[in-house]
Amino acid sequence: MSSGETYRVRMSGISKRYNAIQTLDDVSLTLKPGEVLGLVGDNGAGKSTLSKVLSGAVIPDAGTIEIDGMPVTFSSPADSRAARVEMVYQDLSLCDTVDVAGNLFLGREPRRRIAGISFLDKKRMHEQTRQMLDRLGIVIADTRLKVEYLSGGQRQSIAIGRAASFEPSVLIMDEPTAALAVAEVEAVLDLIRTVSARGVSVILITHRLQDLFLVCDRIQVMYEGRNVAERLIGETNIEDVVNLIVGRKFNARSATNRHRDGAPA
Amino acid sequence: MSEATHSAQSRKMREGTWRDMMLANGSVVSIALFFLVVCIIFSVATNAFLTSPNLLNILRQSSPLLIVAAAMTFVITTGGIDLSVGSVLALVATLSATLLQLGLPWPAVILAMLALGALLGAVQGYFVAYEGIPAFIVTLAGLSVIRGVALLITGGYSIPVEPGSPFTVIGRAWFLGVPVPALIALVILAIAYLAFNETPFGRYVTGIGANAEAVRRAGVNTRLMTLFVYVISAAAAALAGIIIAARLGSGSSNAGQGFELEVIAAVVLGGTSLFGGRGTIVGTVLGALTVAVIGNGLILAHLSPFLTPIVTGTIILIAIWLNFRLFRGAVRSR
Repeated sequence: MSSGETYRVRMSGISKRYNAIQTLDDVSLTLKPGEVLGLVGDNGAGKSTLSKVLSGAVIPDAGTIEIDGMPVTFSSPADSRAARVEMVYQDLSLCDTVDVAGNLFLGREPRRRIAGISFLDKKRMHEQTRQMLDRLGIVIADTRLKVEYLSGGQRQSIAIGRAASFEPSVLIMDEPTAALAVAEVEAVLDLIRTVSARGVSVILITHRLQDLFLVCDRIQVMYEGRNVAERLIGETNIEDVVNLIVGRKFNARSATNRHRDGAPA
Repeated sequence: MSEATHSAQSRKMREGTWRDMMLANGSVVSIALFFLVVCIIFSVATNAFLTSPNLLNILRQSSPLLIVAAAMTFVITTGGIDLSVGSVLALVATLSATLLQLGLPWPAVILAMLALGALLGAVQGYFVAYEGIPAFIVTLAGLSVIRGVALLITGGYSIPVEPGSPFTVIGRAWFLGVPVPALIALVILAIAYLAFNETPFGRYVTGIGANAEAVRRAGVNTRLMTLFVYVISAAAAALAGIIIAARLGSGSSNAGQGFELEVIAAVVLGGTSLFGGRGTIVGTVLGALTVAVIGNGLILAHLSPFLTPIVTGTIILIAIWLNFRLFRGAVRSR
C-alpha cells in the first residue's frame, strides 16, 4: 500500500450531538478501494450513527467527508447515493408481496413503451435478475417467487444484491447476518467477498465477531462515540477485539487516541 | 454429484413455482368457486336467471359497482380505504342533473363531473398522503361532507333529467347488443387490469401497501402515488354517478347510500387484503359479480330482497375465513 494512494472514503473529525449526548466525538474513518472494514463496538458506541452520516441519513455537526479525494457534503440519502454510497438496511428494503425481480428493480424497472404508455418489461426484468443473481452467486430457484416465501438469508442476499446492482463504490451493511441460520450466514459472507472482489469497498457493522475474521481486512473499534482502535485482521484476535469493545484497556490507550493514522504497521 | 444436486434443485424450483401460483391465486380461486356455486344454484332454482337478457341486465346494473370496485382495489392495495365513494356518486348524480337543467351541453357536464371527482379525490388524497391522517378518518369526513353538499343543493329532492337528452344514452342505450354501461365498465376494467399488473404504477401501489418505506427509499414519490389512488377512486365514483343519473333519468342526493360498503365488500371478497400489499383486479371483478348475482337471483327466486345483505354478508365471512384457513396461514409462517 503506497502512502500516496487516495482513499475511497476518508471521514475526519466527525461529531454529532443529540441534546446532552455526544453520539460521535471527533471520529475518523478511512476505507480503501475493495477493502472490507469491520466496524464494531457496544450498543450506543456510535457505529450506526457513523454509518448513517456516510449514507446521508444523519447530518453531522462537524467534520469532513472525502470520497475518492473529493470533499462532499451529504444532506440526504439521495446525495450519498449519487456519490455511489449504498446502504443495506436490515430487512427494511424489501416488499414481501412483490417478486424477487420486482424487488431487485424496485424504482428502476425496465420499461417498454406501447402507445406512449410505459409498461413493465417483465421478460427483460426477469432475465436481468437471473444474470445478476448468477453473477453474485445468489441461489434462488425462481425470480417470480415472492420475497415473503424466501428464507432470511435469501432475503438478505436480495437486499445486498439490490444495493450491489447500483454499481456502488461503497457498500454499508448494518448487521447483515443477525438472525440468520449458520448456512445462511456463510452464503451472505460469500456474497460480501464476491462484492468486495469486484472492487466495492464494504463497511460491515456486526456483533458477530467471528464473521469479522472471515471477511474483513481491517477492524475499527468504537467506544462511546470515539474510535479507540484499529487493527489489521492478521494482527489481532477475538479476545483482543472483545477487550477493545468492552473498553477494559480504554484508559491505557486514550493517550494515543488523538493521534490517528490510517494504516498501522 | 452435480447431477443429483441439479435434479434436486430443479424439483425444488418446480415445487416453488407451483406453490407460489396456488398461494398467489388462492383467493381468486376461492371467489371463482363461490361465484360458480351461486350461479349454478340460481340457474337451477329459477328459469329466468340463465337467460341472456337477465345476464346483460346484471352487467348493466352492476357496472357502477364494477367500475368503482376496480378503482377501490388500488386504494385498498396501498393499505388505504375510501369511504366517500357513495357520497361522491350522489353529489355527481345530483350536480349533473342540475347542470343539464341549467342548459349546459352534456359532454361539458360529463367532463366537469369527472374533473370534480378527481378534485375531491385529490383533496382527500392530500390529507392522507401528505398530512398523514388515516384514510379511514379523511374519507369518513368526506363521506359526511360530500353527501351533505348534495343534500344542500337539492334540498333532499331528486332532480329530473329530460328523457330526450342524449345524456341518458350513457345509462340506457345498447351498442352491439350490449348495454352501454356494461361496455364502459369493460373498458375501465381492462385499463385497471393493465395498470395494476403491467405498469410501474401498479407495482408501486402493491409495494406501498407491502412496505412504503422500501418504495420511498427506492426513489419513488410514494406520496404522489398515494394521492393518485384517491383521485382514481373518486373519479371512478363520479363516472358511476354519471351512469346512474343517466340510467335512472334523475339525480338524487340519496343515491348510493351504503354503496361504499358494497364496493369494499366486492374488493375484499375478491381476495384483496385490507392490510395492503395484496390486490387482484380479477378477484375484484368476480367479487363484484358475485354480489350482483346474489341480489339478482334472490329477486328472481321470489325471495325477499332483504335477504340480499344477509346472504352477501355471510358469503363474505365464509369466503374470507376459507381464504385465511387454506391459503393465508401458509403464507404467514416464514
